[in-house]
Amino acid sequence: MAKESFDKEIQFLRMLVLTSGAYNRQQFAKRLGISVNTFDKTLRRLKDIVHATYQQLPEEQGKEFAEAIRYRYDDSADPMLLFLFRAKSLKESESRRLSLVLAALNGRSMTASELLDCCMADLPADLSLPDEKTIRKDLKYLEEVGVIQKENGARPFKYRIRNELIHELTDEELLDLYDFVDVMANTQIPSVQGYLLRDGLKKHLVRGGAEKEAVEPFLYKYHYHSRILDEAHLFTILNAILGRRKMKFLYFSPKSDKSYASQNTNPLFERESNGKLETTLPLKVVYDHQYGRWYVLGHGREGIRKYRMEGMTQVETGEPVAQAWFEEKQAELMDRIRYSWLIDTGRPVTVRARFFSPGGSEPDFIKERVLLQGQWGEIVEESENSFIYEITVNGTQEIKPWLRSFGSSCEVQEPVQLRRELIAEWKEIRAYYESV
Amino acid sequence: MNPFEKIFNYQIISRLDDAGAFMATAHERAWLKTVLAHPAASQAFTAGTLAKLESLLEPDEAIDAHPHLIEKARSREKQVYHPLLGRIRRLILNRHGIRLSYSVRGDRIFSDQLGVPYKLEYSMVKREWYLLWHRVRHHTLMKTKLDKILFITGADISHERVDRMLERTRLTLESRKTEVLIEIIPLYNRELSRILYAFSCFEKEVAYDADRKLYTVKVCLPGEEIEYLLSKLRFLGKRVRVLEGDYVKKRMVEASTKALERYGVLEANEEV
Repeated sequence: MAKESFDKEIQFLRMLVLTSGAYNRQQFAKRLGISVNTFDKTLRRLKDIVHATYQQLPEEQGKEFAEAIRYRYDDSADPMLLFLFRAKSLKESESRRLSLVLAALNGRSMTASELLDCCMADLPADLSLPDEKTIRKDLKYLEEVGVIQKENGARPFKYRIRNELIHELTDEELLDLYDFVDVMANTQIPSVQGYLLRDGLKKHLVRGGAEKEAVEPFLYKYHYHSRILDEAHLFTILNAILGRRKMKFLYFSPKSDKSYASQNTNPLFERESNGKLETTLPLKVVYDHQYGRWYVLGHGREGIRKYRMEGMTQVETGEPVAQAWFEEKQAELMDRIRYSWLIDTGRPVTVRARFFSPGGSEPDFIKERVLLQGQWGEIVEESENSFIYEITVNGTQEIKPWLRSFGSSCEVQEPVQLRRELIAEWKEIRAYYESV
Repeated sequence: MNPFEKIFNYQIISRLDDAGAFMATAHERAWLKTVLAHPAASQAFTAGTLAKLESLLEPDEAIDAHPHLIEKARSREKQVYHPLLGRIRRLILNRHGIRLSYSVRGDRIFSDQLGVPYKLEYSMVKREWYLLWHRVRHHTLMKTKLDKILFITGADISHERVDRMLERTRLTLESRKTEVLIEIIPLYNRELSRILYAFSCFEKEVAYDADRKLYTVKVCLPGEEIEYLLSKLRFLGKRVRVLEGDYVKKRMVEASTKALERYGVLEANEEV
């Protein structure tokens, strides 16, 4: 079976999250480059998964899907989009068997033939019953993903489930662990594995009698919850970097109207894809906290290449390159992005801006924010009501929105060009509200 | 590490839940092992628990992501964990009341205040923890930095009374929500993805008028969070215009007028 790709689901969910209900079916399908039929099928499948994953979802209330997975402040610790990573399709017989094996091992360690007996006894008659070879294959898989392990050195091997986290820890320690996992998954990247662990621990706590609401005392403001969609490709890309391997993928620039095209397995839905086939040697992955977006920086025929991870589909890993050459390219890149506010590799320029304190008895939240977010910039001069911040950055495009976000508390002095641009923009913004 | 392993399949997970079984994969343990190396771990656990966890995870490998993963435009991480988290979260879990003393701006101290805690909130922007609680006196909703709490302990309030106050809190929070309607200037539709990403941290609804190719975003947020929305609007600059929300509009006029005064291109008293 070909490797299942989740490109379609990822693009689908991203668009749904970002535009939350703005498009009708036709508009939505057109922008994804899929047929309305495929749109309906994908939506149905995702709904099924969401419904099974979050049983509390009231399907009968006819809530729109977009509404159901919408981001809510009071649920900010529980990422709805996590269900994407639960979407791997599985035959009914296999999912029954695997869960039965794990449930059996949850009680005590067992050998393959004991587990076979369990399956024979407990699997419903309408499913095809497994043979010992199948069970051994299952055990090998479960061992590979680290859910179980062999207990003894001698045959026949006994297997035990790896749930020492809940068995070795006291209830109090387990609560501390849950909290820690919650906080780290929500504040650090990568986080998908942390969210999966959090989910397992939460279910365990709720089974132990804790109330769901009370288990979740934490809120995170403000969060880019769609960031976890891109973690789907993250480890493939990081592995390519670790292995110094080139990557091939179909790239859809986020600036184009369409963000996905079907792989054309069915000629009925065949469409002109306007993605571009790219080959690049990935060197670094960048996460941009300003927008919650991911980038891949690589080396291609034209030198340094930058890709938005959300535009990458059908990612494949290729041949490795020589270590010395890889290291040279990586060092070159690091040198070029040393002064990137985000990923700009343009000419370095020194930006000098005066920031004004709020005055009065207020704490100086302007200065606090500059110190918190100003990256490697420095305060070079200070007076009672203001201070001067200086930073060398590659180009001014990426830092500009941040400077502008301070409103009248920030006055750019240099470079003159940036100062002029900001004046022009403030004039335009003011004109928007002239009738107010 | 493939995040789409079949072991994560939703049917398996829900069957295991029904069977009351817990499992953790090598992926999850690797992640945990990695984050346990973060300085926050020593605040989250006692030395004994931390040592126990480390020994349980000894056979597992950590995730080696960070050498090739660069984070940009990140706020300085001044606080990830706070020593009070564990204690307060247990008070919330057990639906207890609290008595606390805390300081506010300057040196003013409020001591021995009775209340009901309902959430612990982390600001991704300020990278700090806050306690959200309901103060019994005057029935006010409070937000107190954990760093400013001088003393906190459980207080004897009946579960029924706690529940009543939690319900009251929920209603108050609901009533404080306000809506702001924002237009994306069609000239910048090419930057749509970026603009929508910037709004993706809010509760919002997007509408699209196909004839005019016009996108509007309705942001719904608690009144006290307007400042953050304003900084986002200034961040996006001329790409967006506020259509509905008088206070927000007024503030945008103010910001642009004052900014132009700073730049010396507008007389201070010029009429808008």
